[in-house]
Amino acid sequence: MSSPAIEIKGLTKSYGNVHALNGVDIKINEGEFFGLLGPNGAGKTTTINILTGLVFRDKGSTEVFGKDTVNDYRFTRSKIGIAAQEFSVDWFFPIEKLLFFQAGYYGIRKKDAKPTIDKLLARLGLEKKKDARLRQLSGGMKRRFQLAKALVHDPDIIILDEPTAGVDVELRRDLWQYLRDLHYKGKTILLTTHYIEEAELLCENVAIIDEGKILKEGPPKILTQELGTAGISINIGNTNQKLDPYFSEYTYTIEKNRLHFSVKDPDKALPKIIKKLSEADIHINSIDSNRSSLEDVFLNLTGKGINE
Amino acid sequence: MNWVGFNTLILREVGRFFSVYRQTVLPGLITSALYIAIFGFTLEQRISEIQGVPYTLFILPGLIMMNTLTNATSNTSSSMLQMKLLQQLPDLLTAPLSGFEISIAYIIGGAVRGMVNGVLVLLLGIVLIGMPVKDPLGTIIFIFLVSWAFSSMGLLLGQLAESWDQLAMMQNFFLTPLSFLGGIFYSIKMLPEWAQTLSFINPIYYMINGIRYTILGVSDSPVSISYTMAIILTISFTISSILLMQSGKKIKQ
Repeated sequence: MSSPAIEIKGLTKSYGNVHALNGVDIKINEGEFFGLLGPNGAGKTTTINILTGLVFRDKGSTEVFGKDTVNDYRFTRSKIGIAAQEFSVDWFFPIEKLLFFQAGYYGIRKKDAKPTIDKLLARLGLEKKKDARLRQLSGGMKRRFQLAKALVHDPDIIILDEPTAGVDVELRRDLWQYLRDLHYKGKTILLTTHYIEEAELLCENVAIIDEGKILKEGPPKILTQELGTAGISINIGNTNQKLDPYFSEYTYTIEKNRLHFSVKDPDKALPKIIKKLSEADIHINSIDSNRSSLEDVFLNLTGKGINE
Repeated sequence: MNWVGFNTLILREVGRFFSVYRQTVLPGLITSALYIAIFGFTLEQRISEIQGVPYTLFILPGLIMMNTLTNATSNTSSSMLQMKLLQQLPDLLTAPLSGFEISIAYIIGGAVRGMVNGVLVLLLGIVLIGMPVKDPLGTIIFIFLVSWAFSSMGLLLGQLAESWDQLAMMQNFFLTPLSFLGGIFYSIKMLPEWAQTLSFINPIYYMINGIRYTILGVSDSPVSISYTMAIILTISFTISSILLMQSGKKIKQ
């Protein structure tokens, strides 16, 4: 069996008296889209900075495709492309040149890097700005440049630290689509975010981190089913019928002519409920359902909202 | 060894200072020309020859040395600090480059700037006042050694400094005074005995005397000491800057 793309075990890190990481364990398989979800200061950036060699780890192990990120740093770093949250500022060179430098650091010669750089500039809408300096780019363009820089050596693993922080809705959706495309091509993606919607939409698995600890890990849908609740509200025409014999297995309330069911999975429960109502000869006027989100899960686990 | 990455970083470092040549190359040339014009031509009327050499000629090797070492130092120190403060360093530290490769590439970048500036002032002296160069090869070797040594020192300072203020302090309170007190404008034999003794512990004194000997054939102390001192500085600054980079103590958390 091949090694996981990323495997972190018992990772700890302290800055003086501040314990940034308290034994983090994460396993990400090759080709997986993984989200590390947590509020600011939870330990997301510290985790990825240790993985990429920017921060020393105190204890624990960090491996990329089975190789240690400290002892085999050349191998592990060549496999990773990272788009940092903070923009770097370089006013000496145009952005195309900066991409050639970045490719060079990864051992790719100029002529070999050119086709990739041309494609990235075109795909990310930076073609017309290739001769511009970073300071001449808008915030959204800088964010796209960060992504281009991470992809310039065609890495197997892409680490994105808050990739859509501070970008407008349109660009955010465009970046999401691009990330989906990359994932479809087989790239392993580790995304840190405090946008719940982003993690729910993109990630196959998420880990919720707070105060340097992983609180829960799993597919977003399973987590919301386990730890969240969803509701189905049905406006019915006639309420004289006794409902208990039909819905004994459900948790529900009835108020006037509105039936409210608390369910784990509305997709599965709704057809069954409709069938039972039909058997009971109850007329349905309208149906509403509200889903639980990762936000609820986060709230459930930490007792606070993700942006607090 | 990641040769492509190593060469790329050298190209970046050299390209960086050439892209702002008005700040990194021209000022040294203009300042040296002004020194020659003002100090040399005006004071030459009043100061008799020093060690048998006209005053303008006497100060030129010192100017070459000062230009070489200040440029070499400031290239690596400012580039490293800039990378730290402007979030560029993570691009290097997350790439498959070793601390050794990053250090040597930086040092080469700074050494190239030191040499370009040193050689340009040398050419200025030759063109402007017909300076004779007694030992051209020795002169170039000296400019190279000093460029490399002070480029390494700059890399060390750039890693240690946490702000522009700290860096400016190191340069203004340490490097510039040592350069001026190293005998650019005078022979230390013109100084009182205690000041002469103090000069012997100033490493820049040996650099200036070394290049003065290779150009003019005159020196306050044997040239072999100057060569030895240049080699010791080169080796010690190179090793310490590499070790600090490899440890990551001042550039990683």
